[in-house]
Amino acid sequence: MKNIISVFMYALVFVLVISCSEDDNKEFGSLELEFDNVVGEADLELNTSDEPYTNEAGETYAITSLRYYISNIKLKRNDGTVYEDEMSADGSKGYYLIDEAEGETQHIELEGIPAGDYTEITFTIGVDANQVTEGAQTGPLDPAKGMFWSWKSGYVFVAVEGTSSSSSDDDNIILYHVGGYDTPNNIKTKTLPMGSAAAQVRGDKTPEVHVIADVNKFFASPHEISFEELPVRHMPADNVTIAENYVNAFVVDHVHN
Amino acid sequence: MFSATTGLMSMTALLFLLISCTVSEGPVWQYTFEQPSHFSPATYTFENNPVTREGFELGRMLFYDPVLSADSTVSCSTCHKQVTGFADPTHKINHGINNRLGKRNSPGLANMAFKTSFFYDGGVSHLDFVPINAITSEVEMGSTLDEVVQRLNNNSVYRSKFRKAFGKDAVDSQQMLHALAQFTVMLVSANSKYDKVIRGEDKFSSLEEEGYTLFQSKCSACHTSPMFTDGSFRNNGLDDTFIKDPGREVVTGLDSDRGKFSVPSLRNVELTLPYMHDGRLRTLEDVLNHYTSSVKGSPTLDPLLENETSRGIAMTHDEKQKIIAFLKTLTDTQFINEKRFADPF
Repeated sequence: MKNIISVFMYALVFVLVISCSEDDNKEFGSLELEFDNVVGEADLELNTSDEPYTNEAGETYAITSLRYYISNIKLKRNDGTVYEDEMSADGSKGYYLIDEAEGETQHIELEGIPAGDYTEITFTIGVDANQVTEGAQTGPLDPAKGMFWSWKSGYVFVAVEGTSSSSSDDDNIILYHVGGYDTPNNIKTKTLPMGSAAAQVRGDKTPEVHVIADVNKFFASPHEISFEELPVRHMPADNVTIAENYVNAFVVDHVHN
Repeated sequence: MFSATTGLMSMTALLFLLISCTVSEGPVWQYTFEQPSHFSPATYTFENNPVTREGFELGRMLFYDPVLSADSTVSCSTCHKQVTGFADPTHKINHGINNRLGKRNSPGLANMAFKTSFFYDGGVSHLDFVPINAITSEVEMGSTLDEVVQRLNNNSVYRSKFRKAFGKDAVDSQQMLHALAQFTVMLVSANSKYDKVIRGEDKFSSLEEEGYTLFQSKCSACHTSPMFTDGSFRNNGLDDTFIKDPGREVVTGLDSDRGKFSVPSLRNVELTLPYMHDGRLRTLEDVLNHYTSSVKGSPTLDPLLENETSRGIAMTHDEKQKIIAFLKTLTDTQFINEKRFADPF
């Protein structure tokens, strides 16, 4: 009996020593990521009474709703090591539904990040195929969030809805529901440099990384979109151009340290 | 002390055995998925949603409860009746709240654990997502996932059953879809006369045997055993334009998929009338007559239904009767009478 206790005590001491030595070198902090949606120079405003925005084709428009999924967030430190946001197989962690109508969804708090200076951020605009092939999901991927297609299993990655007097739709609607994870695959991954100032993550310091998404760029380059042609698009094939555009709409505007 | 304990244990064991003997009339129904040995492996993601007694029974309740529809008048079982292999012999096409009508026939349900696509156009790729279409369709249940989940959360009986099945405080759509899938994934039909013949437990009559041979040469290229479907999408010549329902083209956007519909399983086919995606054919004779004499040509018509000189499948009247005799061996009476699949209310 004595032997068992002493072996146990040794083991306990050993574990404690190892834990301490690891902790000595590691300091963890948090980082706040903000997704701010704009149109050109202006902050995006929903449900305006007029059409305050103008696309590249010179067509005026208003936006009534903007929602999109961000996932697979990775942060690269100046020493090359990469922090990966935890992803859970049931959709409850690592997937974020940014909704312009719900301010709190635009702030993502990443925790447990090793301290250091982070110079680059990578994220996916959309949802991996696995989250569909593995069946019903929860959290931000709950199909009840209204971003899941019943007619063709899969998530809408980006949903932008509004009106334009140039729209050829009877009610002047413009609606682009971009999804599709196989053929075509509209999942986009974007890597952005933090800019001149790295995000300094420390145990007692939480930097804020301010990402802006410019809705005008959804319709600008490399494919100029006119609201006259196919103003309502659900088919993944019809939205390849929009996806190739909006990947260019995201930039890191600035970092608050 | 020692002997007293042993004695007590023996008594308990004896009592247990006695009780077991009195209740075990026939095999005990297991709330676990059993893979039939002559089927290909199940494709359902059981690792994400293991079947439990609580989950299965909850799914069964939901399946039979009109709570899922907007005005609480329509349940899954309205169009999927166990007695007819979970099909709906009373309507050609789907119907729902306020007597609305859709455009597709309600298929029989069986062996969903082995499927990789659902619905006539294959738009749904996982069993979990199947109920979403019925719940949110304006011509079926006319509700939303949000509304249904809220209703379940407001119902103390359901809230408690969900808590027991999934251990979470609030119901979400994932739990609801998982519960329904636990019920539907267990709807395995593998005990028809055909299955018994395959397992060496029964023998075909000579008529059925001849029908089976004919079936293999004329039908099984698409209706491949043991599921009696190859899981593909084909245009079987019901129309030449498909303006009313373009089929799989709606999902893929491809002209080459126009008029293609999923090849249905033929399990319980005797019971799952009416036939075809729009329920236009009433009897098995009608179906075989379509293949011999009414196949219409179009650019996407299945190559198996067309050669240089003719369209369709050549069958004499006598051959049709034999094939029908074989098709009736796919009726699984145990499946349609299984009490665990029946209305719990």
